Amino acid sequence: MKNAKVFISVLLTCGLLFLSSFSASRGPLSLIRIPKGPDFPVRIFSRLQIDVRQELGSCLLALADREDIALLRRNGVRFSILARNTAERDMLVVRTDSPDALAALRSAGKAIAVEPGTAVFWTETGSPSEAVPTGLPRKVLSSRTVRVDLRPAAGAGRPAPQAVAQNPLIDMIVDLVSPSNLSSDVQSLQDFQTRYASTSNCEASGQYIYNTFSGFGLDDVRFAPFTFSGSYSSRNVVAEKTGETYPDDIVIICAHYDSTSPSASRQTLAPGADDNASGTAAVLEAARILASYPLDFTVRFIAFSAEEWGLYGSRAYATAARQAGESIAGVINLDMIAFADAMPEDLQVIVNSASGWLADRFLDAAANYGVLGATKTVDASFVYSDHAPFWDSGYPALLAIEDNPLNNPFYHQTTDTLAQINLDFFTSATRASLGLLAELAQPIKEGYPGTPVGLSATSVVYSSLFSALKAVRLTWSAQADAAGYNVYRTNSSHIDYIKINAVPVVGTTYSDDDVRTDLPYYYVVTAVGGTGLESNRSRQAGVAPDLSQATAALRTLSSLLFGGGR
Amino acid sequence: MNAGRRIAAFLVLLGLAAAARAQELSLSLAVGTFSASEKAYREIYGSGLPFSVDVWLKFKGPFGLAAGYGWVGDTGLAVPMDGGDAEYPVKFLRTSIPVVVFYQLDLKAVDIRLGAGLCAHRYEETWETVDLGFKGNKVSPRFVAAVSVALPGRLSLFGSATYDTIPTGAGSSLVNEINLGGLQLLGGVAFKIF
Repeated sequence: MKNAKVFISVLLTCGLLFLSSFSASRGPLSLIRIPKGPDFPVRIFSRLQIDVRQELGSCLLALADREDIALLRRNGVRFSILARNTAERDMLVVRTDSPDALAALRSAGKAIAVEPGTAVFWTETGSPSEAVPTGLPRKVLSSRTVRVDLRPAAGAGRPAPQAVAQNPLIDMIVDLVSPSNLSSDVQSLQDFQTRYASTSNCEASGQYIYNTFSGFGLDDVRFAPFTFSGSYSSRNVVAEKTGETYPDDIVIICAHYDSTSPSASRQTLAPGADDNASGTAAVLEAARILASYPLDFTVRFIAFSAEEWGLYGSRAYATAARQAGESIAGVINLDMIAFADAMPEDLQVIVNSASGWLADRFLDAAANYGVLGATKTVDASFVYSDHAPFWDSGYPALLAIEDNPLNNPFYHQTTDTLAQINLDFFTSATRASLGLLAELAQPIKEGYPGTPVGLSATSVVYSSLFSALKAVRLTWSAQADAAGYNVYRTNSSHIDYIKINAVPVVGTTYSDDDVRTDLPYYYVVTAVGGTGLESNRSRQAGVAPDLSQATAALRTLSSLLFGGGR
Repeated sequence: MNAGRRIAAFLVLLGLAAAARAQELSLSLAVGTFSASEKAYREIYGSGLPFSVDVWLKFKGPFGLAAGYGWVGDTGLAVPMDGGDAEYPVKFLRTSIPVVVFYQLDLKAVDIRLGAGLCAHRYEETWETVDLGFKGNKVSPRFVAAVSVALPGRLSLFGSATYDTIPTGAGSSLVNEINLGGLQLLGGVAFKIF
């Protein structure tokens, strides 16, 4: 009898263990499309923890098992199933601007249009990247759940930038951009004949970039190897100039160094001068110049590989950065910045809504340092360059590109050579990019007070029955050479700071009582020396809006509209 | 004549007609204490000091109609949500105009009245040192129990318990939806006009 009890207990335990292991694993996965209309239930969706693998302008693409699908249905979230039983295979988002492109894609594998100009593509066997017809930009779906920004897009935006408030030191730095260096680096990269990822020439060009970085006296230069599309491998090249004040806060300037051309020639000839020796040369030039300046923030100069295959190099890097919890303040991705289809040529700056400030800062830098027109476009569907994996990982990133849509007849052709490049435009684009990079990294000015550190912001909300007042208390560490401090505030992260103290603050605390409870506030402080010289800005600190108050404000508004209060 | 004046004239006429039919007319004045049902109200303002003046018209039979004017308000301090140590004085005022139908039990020298009706409230909260505040108005139900004990002459001792529920539809960091109602206990005198 006792043995029977033991046997039944063991049997039950094993059964429970089996059931729990069964419920923990995900069932067959379907690829689903979730439209993001104005009626999208943001708060409900955020709670559901759906495995979103790609955010586009009008929809999200997600992998969902039966439980997820039931959850979405129960919560009234609209979706459509694109493909059932999709194993964890490489799937690509492909740009299909014309019906011909979609038809060509469908003849190469399985393609489903998910929004105008965008399709999802995969193949049952082999590498989907190799099957995509030549000339169609593509991005591999994220290997992990992406960070989705469901805030409404910004409205009218800022007024046009004006050429004011240049930093003389940065002005001097951008003046060091050398057209002959740019031209010679493009020629050197072009001389590898092809830089198609998976070829030995591509690896050799990576070594050239590594050697060039190493010659600048930077703090660190390394290869970051990765595998892609099954059995291939390549290397990103990462160089670092470590920040002296904030070594753990990173600004990235990057470009892909691999190239491509039609499938018949790309293994042997893909000069890729504009796409993207131009971006790579600009990154090398930025590294050469900034190597000799002490900076507040760390700058990483990165040359990515396997972009043309579907952004595999940047995906590996951005995923690892997020897993390591790296603090990346902004990413400047340069891809095709040297071909001018008309003069005067301007630069297109493409961002998602969370990175809007970065584009605004780029436009300011272009006006101040680049002597270059630039246009900002907020388009979460433009995911066909190395900025996109950083978006997936929740980092602010921009793409600087000569035209959108592209109008370069040599794009992905064996004729994309230095001879087609407009060196003046290329130089201006590099100056603007370096200007923004320097503004973000903050070169340390000799003879000025040190940049304040240790800034923190805490908020206290005082509430009556119907109203609330928020006060923000700022504290920071004392700077030995500071006679006082200035405090700057903004409601838009990283941009448009306004000084809020009338006279320099004595001491290392400041209380800002003039704030609303339903808005975010961001602060930086500077140190002011005895002679009035002002330091660089500290790292930004901020306080989030009080969401319960924002909800209450909505309710109050509703009561005002429909009766009850003023 | 605008709509407000028309309504006021109508109410005066209605009052006069009711008075003409009234068997008994009395006026009460009372002060007391107010215990808000909202914890946040009590936390900021404590128990308020209400004041009320009412006219009581008793018709033939046990029913009657009462109307009046009430006032409750107090001062307090805004509540720091995260341990702040600054002080922000606030003040609150609510005025009310009730119209109540009541049932009267006559027990020799003691009259007991139980009634229900509607009450129009106006309320205002003001921060005294910063430019913040809120005004609103609401019509809500009111329930009353009153007692008067006759004294020699036309005077009587008067006491009442009044319960209001006043959902405002507004909210704040402290309360999701503020209800300004609660229980009012008043004591005073009543004067019998006829």
